[in-house]
Amino acid sequence: MRSAARFVLLALTALVAVPAVVVADDRLDLTGSLDLRFVHATGALSWLEGGSGALRFDREHEDLRLGRAFLAGRLRLDDTLSLHAVVDAYGDHDRNPVDLSEFWLEYRPFPLSPLRWRARLGAFYAPISLENRGPGWSDVYSITPSAINTWIGEEFRTLGAEIEARWLGSARGYGGDIALVAAAYGWNDPAGVLLSDRGFGLTDRPSTLFGGLGRPPLTFYHDTDHRAGYYAGLSWRRYDRAEVRALHYDNRADPTSVAGSAFGWMTRFDSVGVRLEPTSHLTLIAQNIDGETVIGPFPGGGEPFRMTFRATFGLASLEYGATRFTARYDDFHTHQLSGFYGPPADQVGHAWTTAVQHDVGDAWQIAAEWIRVTNHFPPRANYGLPADGPESQLQLALRYRFRLQR
Amino acid sequence: MTAVTRRGARVTPLDAGVRMLPGMSPPRLRARPSSSLAARAAGGQRTRATVAVTVAFTTGLLLMLLAPAARAGEVAVSVLDRGGHAVEAVVVTLAPAHGVPAIRRAAPATAIMDQRDRAFVPRVLVVGVGTSVDFPNNDSVSHQVYSFSAAKPFQLPLYKGTRHPPVVFDREGLVVLGCNIHDQMTGYIVVTGAPFFGMTDAAGGYRSGTVPEGDYDVTVWSPLIADAATTLTRHVHVAAGGPTDVRVRLAQALRARPEPRPRRGDWEY
Repeated sequence: MRSAARFVLLALTALVAVPAVVVADDRLDLTGSLDLRFVHATGALSWLEGGSGALRFDREHEDLRLGRAFLAGRLRLDDTLSLHAVVDAYGDHDRNPVDLSEFWLEYRPFPLSPLRWRARLGAFYAPISLENRGPGWSDVYSITPSAINTWIGEEFRTLGAEIEARWLGSARGYGGDIALVAAAYGWNDPAGVLLSDRGFGLTDRPSTLFGGLGRPPLTFYHDTDHRAGYYAGLSWRRYDRAEVRALHYDNRADPTSVAGSAFGWMTRFDSVGVRLEPTSHLTLIAQNIDGETVIGPFPGGGEPFRMTFRATFGLASLEYGATRFTARYDDFHTHQLSGFYGPPADQVGHAWTTAVQHDVGDAWQIAAEWIRVTNHFPPRANYGLPADGPESQLQLALRYRFRLQR
Repeated sequence: MTAVTRRGARVTPLDAGVRMLPGMSPPRLRARPSSSLAARAAGGQRTRATVAVTVAFTTGLLLMLLAPAARAGEVAVSVLDRGGHAVEAVVVTLAPAHGVPAIRRAAPATAIMDQRDRAFVPRVLVVGVGTSVDFPNNDSVSHQVYSFSAAKPFQLPLYKGTRHPPVVFDREGLVVLGCNIHDQMTGYIVVTGAPFFGMTDAAGGYRSGTVPEGDYDVTVWSPLIADAATTLTRHVHVAAGGPTDVRVRLAQALRARPEPRPRRGDWEY
């Protein structure tokens, strides 16, 4: 891990040094944000703190908290090549107080026909979430993303290469475009372990590339089997008014592979999402994810652990001037099929989220969010808790943001 | 006679010996309907002024270049949608068919296609062949403008603090503009060889100003018009005297207008 820390230090130095070196020509675009919270939570110990709670904060971890501090930078190397990095700090007990969460090189040549190619190489999020469209993968509609995109942030990062071919319809009199995207990656074989341990949750605490989540921390960016995973997706956009995304994800992990303390979880799913903006005030988003994860069998360990999962959410967001109101309903399930060693990992849950965000000038935002989760998850018995655990969390956020262009 | 646009570009008639028609001077021309139409479409103070001057002057030049002996008429075009409502910002071109004396081409003009709030302003621009179009980028972010249209393929990175030479549109045709950073940005430049052109105003109207008597093909175009291109040209005879009315009533519903959505504190690149 010393090398990881060195890498992070280098990246940070680069991010700080680059503005000093590049003083003109509009090469650097740096966005930063500091997000402070005042939290009131009613749930039992959060999974992130070593418990089983589905939310980020709990009765023992509330009051004044650091929501997130991040820097998201893009350095233009030339007209078609750019370097992107996101550095995060969450102020919790993660082993790197400051860590990289994305770092990639992007090649985007000018289109010479209606077909435009784009390639990314590095560590980045797969194009799954329709909520996390802000810089640094931040959620623009609420403080906490849906259960689906919470999980994507927690366990998934593409460490590899992605290529996108987009047909630009506007040049052919069609007000929209269609894209095919595909990626090959490694170092994401443990993805699925968190879902089996906690089930779905709603937190705005994604994992970082060299950090971990939970206590003791689970880490997700390992290769256990030297087998590449892939995803392939289709996206359709109509102006800025409608967007549909479908993606099939398969990490192709060997479920019997082990590397050090990391295990391979064969995880695959289908995600379909729709975003509609029928008026300039209203945004509607719906997304569904459906898949399975498998680990084992191990020698002398009986049958493999096999679990299916499904989650859906619907979101409506109204924007009036500097104020945005958002309401979201999440529904999520997991179902264990085999490999029972304790209470079945059969989750039945749903959550209501309401959020208000208000911008004060360009730099400040105040936000309030209330979440209530109803969660039935039998493995909570391992923590001496009943299977049913309603939780709620009220957060008030004060956010400062800046943008630097050099 | 030389006009200086507000950006300092000099526009000079090719032939300095051309006689001016009586009563014709740039200040009067600036108030011509066609120039105010273009100005409205352009939006923005600087853009408006420059486009107005440019269009007015181009029109003036064209009129000056007409053979003084030709008898003159005028064309008044109105474009209505399927429901009978006026359609604004429609490009109108008047191409001489026959019976029109040869019209000398105007001097190359300048025009502006700006970038504001991650949109092209104006969204649709009509220019004569040979026009230099400036892309000033008055936005808070960088753009990388491109076209792969046959009439003018080009790539123009617009970074802050860097001067970019204007692009000369030297071939007739439709040039569709995009931005390689912001895929939702689309703009259109109609490069026309027709001596008379302009755009409809909020009332869906366009007046050509004085044109020589004869037969013309009047064509309308907008990215919002879904009607087949073959149905959008009217062959008209322009006689001296009162305006010749051309009414284009569209059969198909207009395409959805992509409303620009400037996002509050936009954090996208």
